[in-house]
Amino acid sequence: MTRPPHHRPAPPHGPAVWLRDLGMGLRFAAAGGREGWTRTLLTAVGVGLGVLLLLGAASVPHLMEGRQERAMARQILNGDDPPRASERTVIAMDADTTYHDQRVFGLRLYPEGKRAPLPPGVTAYPRPGTMAVSPALRDLLASPDGALLRERLPYVITGTIADPGLVGPKELAYYLTSDVPLKTEDGFRLTHFGADAFGDQPMSPTLLMLIFIACVVLLMPVAVFIATAIRFGGDRRDRRLAALRLVGADVATTRRIAAGEALFGALCGLALGTALFLLCRTYAGSVTLWDINAFPSDVTPLPALAALIAVAVPVAALAVTLFTLRGVAIEPLGVVRGRTARRRRLWWRLPLLVGGPAILLVSGPLDPRERGVGAYPAAVGAALTLCGVTAVLPWVIEAVVGRLGRGPVAWQLAVRRLQLSGGTAARAVSGICVAVAGALALQLLVSALQSDFVTRTGQDSGRAQMTVSLPESTGAALRRAADRVATTEGVRTAHTLVGATVARSGPLRKGEKFAPGASVIVGDCAALREVAQTGACHDGDAFLATRGGLAVDAATIREVARPGGKVLLNADGDTGKPLGTPRLWTVPPGTREIAARKDPTGQTSLGILATPGALDLTRLQDPSARVLIRTDPAVPDGEEHIRNAAAALGPDASASTVRDTESDAQFASVHTGLLLGSTVTMALVAAGLLVTTVEQLRERRRLLSVLVAFGTRRSTLAWSVLWQTAVPIVLGLALAVAAGLGLGAGLLRSAGKAAYDWSAIWPLPLAAGLLVLLVTVLSLPSLWRLMRPDGLRTE
Amino acid sequence: MTPSGSLLHAGGLYKAYGATPALDGAEFSIHPGEVVAVLGPSGSGKSTLLHCLAGIIQPDRGTVRYGDHDLTAMTDAERSALRRGDFGFVFQFGQLVPELTCLENVALPMRLAGTARKAAEAHAREWLERLEVDPVAGRRPGEVSGGQGQRVAVARALATRPRVIFADEPTGALDSLNGERVMGLLTEAARATRAAVVLVTHETRVAAYSDREVVVRDGKVREAVTTG
Repeated sequence: MTRPPHHRPAPPHGPAVWLRDLGMGLRFAAAGGREGWTRTLLTAVGVGLGVLLLLGAASVPHLMEGRQERAMARQILNGDDPPRASERTVIAMDADTTYHDQRVFGLRLYPEGKRAPLPPGVTAYPRPGTMAVSPALRDLLASPDGALLRERLPYVITGTIADPGLVGPKELAYYLTSDVPLKTEDGFRLTHFGADAFGDQPMSPTLLMLIFIACVVLLMPVAVFIATAIRFGGDRRDRRLAALRLVGADVATTRRIAAGEALFGALCGLALGTALFLLCRTYAGSVTLWDINAFPSDVTPLPALAALIAVAVPVAALAVTLFTLRGVAIEPLGVVRGRTARRRRLWWRLPLLVGGPAILLVSGPLDPRERGVGAYPAAVGAALTLCGVTAVLPWVIEAVVGRLGRGPVAWQLAVRRLQLSGGTAARAVSGICVAVAGALALQLLVSALQSDFVTRTGQDSGRAQMTVSLPESTGAALRRAADRVATTEGVRTAHTLVGATVARSGPLRKGEKFAPGASVIVGDCAALREVAQTGACHDGDAFLATRGGLAVDAATIREVARPGGKVLLNADGDTGKPLGTPRLWTVPPGTREIAARKDPTGQTSLGILATPGALDLTRLQDPSARVLIRTDPAVPDGEEHIRNAAAALGPDASASTVRDTESDAQFASVHTGLLLGSTVTMALVAAGLLVTTVEQLRERRRLLSVLVAFGTRRSTLAWSVLWQTAVPIVLGLALAVAAGLGLGAGLLRSAGKAAYDWSAIWPLPLAAGLLVLLVTVLSLPSLWRLMRPDGLRTE
Repeated sequence: MTPSGSLLHAGGLYKAYGATPALDGAEFSIHPGEVVAVLGPSGSGKSTLLHCLAGIIQPDRGTVRYGDHDLTAMTDAERSALRRGDFGFVFQFGQLVPELTCLENVALPMRLAGTARKAAEAHAREWLERLEVDPVAGRRPGEVSGGQGQRVAVARALATRPRVIFADEPTGALDSLNGERVMGLLTEAARATRAAVVLVTHETRVAAYSDREVVVRDGKVREAVTTG
């Protein structure tokens, strides 16, 4: 038998001690057997989900930049000095269309020489009369779903647009080579495709604030969740650490070992999250959320942010573990939780909660000149408020459940559990409460800002739902075209307004350089009623719409067209002189002056209004037409039939939908991002809540088995689990609503808004409540499994 | 029906975990008021036998009869109801609900069976007094000693006046002094109420409290020595 050495080596100290103990913790976590690995797996899944979202968020700048760059690279714009036709030019015309509310990007191209520039994504122009399409459009056109679009784009496909020509992999796009020369008036003559990004367009301070708050609101629940996941299995770990104390480990050593164990879970989570991110990235192209889909190469986190995540997650694991062990005394004969003995204090928690809104109220409204600067207090205020929710929630739960009365067994089991370990319950629901508080404040802000960024177009979709514009042609051709549109499937009523310009007849007067002109609109009485208050109207009548616009225009109209006088129908638009033999029309003597009214597209047309009986539209010079359409909602795909009818009339004919409102592009983009982020965050919160619930059930596996052994009904235990989740969630949501309203009030003040949109408030807590119910239901299979008698085995 | 006079009888029990049989044709029976110790080495199938007898798990083959009932033909809900009313349980550790006080723990099976809270707690208090742990009635399990906790568990097992008590290593986590005290109280109270006790243990000094000993080996039950 060997004796212990007399001279023992000096124990390590400083960083070496940390490394030794952290390493020991890592080994314990890695070699903990099935039980240990299950705990590590739960932590890793929790942290991994958080890391997945963080890496996703860190990829957003690159994603948006990539999309914008490719969108700009195919822009067709030229400056003040358009190039002359040459071997190196192409005439490009915007040929976008809409199919089932989805935008189809299109360019109609006419290369003017062999060295004409190519649009991005193709190596050669499609043959004349054929098109190159994106893979998604190719698939759509080949499928039964694309039948109506195939009518609109009946061209042979001879090429594929590669990634550089597409904003996203699911984008519907095509390049069509025209087999007839295009006119420069219809498009642009280009020497190259692409334009500078509009990135230097400054963003409004309120939008900046919205983005800052969104980042805080969407990422705080992730941080809370990661902190919760790191604490999974804490009770069992503490018991194991007590055993280490028995063999001589001091308190500091046990804490470092505990930190090492947490570090292992966090590192596994980091690895799992990264692996999940890489996996999701591969499938990014096949998922479309809120009209956004991305190439895998676009989903690349900014290196600095990725490095920050890689460092921050393990550091957070260490910090959270050391912080939570403050209230725990690990003694050789067991673990004493100091925290259960003393009540939670409110004095340091409340200032966090009220401090956030206070900062916003004190800092006052944003100054539009201080770009970005004013948004910082908002972000700090939001972060503080949401931290306050996590800090105050355990106190609220402790204070309330301590007063809850007795009830049925399930209720009693739940309430007593909450009384004994309210902190665990608070941790389980704090993620969702933070998400609701933040989302509520954000929703209030967004709905208040909406009026600033969503403008009324002046269009009236109640009077017409679509318009078809027919380009200049002859009156007879326009009439035929309008008739074709009017008889299209899906059209309930169609009013055709044929417009042209006329000029005063007779010689120029002194001082005049050209004869004054006015517009003339020819349409039947029903059509004219859409643009003016005609009163009694019969075919053969004419009117002068002089009221409802500028006085100067009214004076010009009176000068051009006097009842009983003549107007020149074939006037040159620039000079007012007749083009060829003067074509004169006598304004009917009984022509009345009436007031114009806005048509369904929001336009006011002052001028001469004539019924076909008063003015034969075939006599007009270069007339064009608009058909105002009421669609038949009973006809499926009515809009698509109308678009097809317009497309069949030629490339210059276009169909558009009448829209009452229009969103600011930047606001719409931020709003879309917000919806995208909220969806992903809520999914994470739900997944996290499920993992937390299962982890808590697993901790009580033996007890559940015992309760079942002596005859406890499964329904009693299920109700107990539901109450254990429901009570904290109800308290948490009440706190979240209060905090969200407070924060929202502060944010509205910063944005210079006063009114609350109360209707924006209730859906969020309701959604959160349903989410909790869903998670509880999903956790029941685990509960049934954990109630099996296996938990009774001790050998 | 059970064989003449026996309260609980199991015949031809077979139960395997994976490919390994824990019970292989085990036979067992117990009479009212009888205390039977089930002995055997670790992993011999003692606890599996107890779980099958109590209807906690279903054997793969064989029957367990309790009075007129065939436990193996009953639904899970019916077996749960039987356990609530007719059976009592004492385990080695981890059996008390940590959030409830000792009094509430003892009252819990009665409340599960539908007894009103006040009546259940009054009755529970009587049992705590009988087992000499009434001073800790208002404390939680984490705040009492191991011996006190185990006596609370015995009180809980006896409070519903069960006809059979299943005790799985009831003194496994106690020192000898506390172990003997718990066993004395358990068997004394069981005999007083004519409850049968199935006592799984590997300690001969604990088995000494029984009327009869059986040994589980290779999945079969063999009679050992009759002590009483």
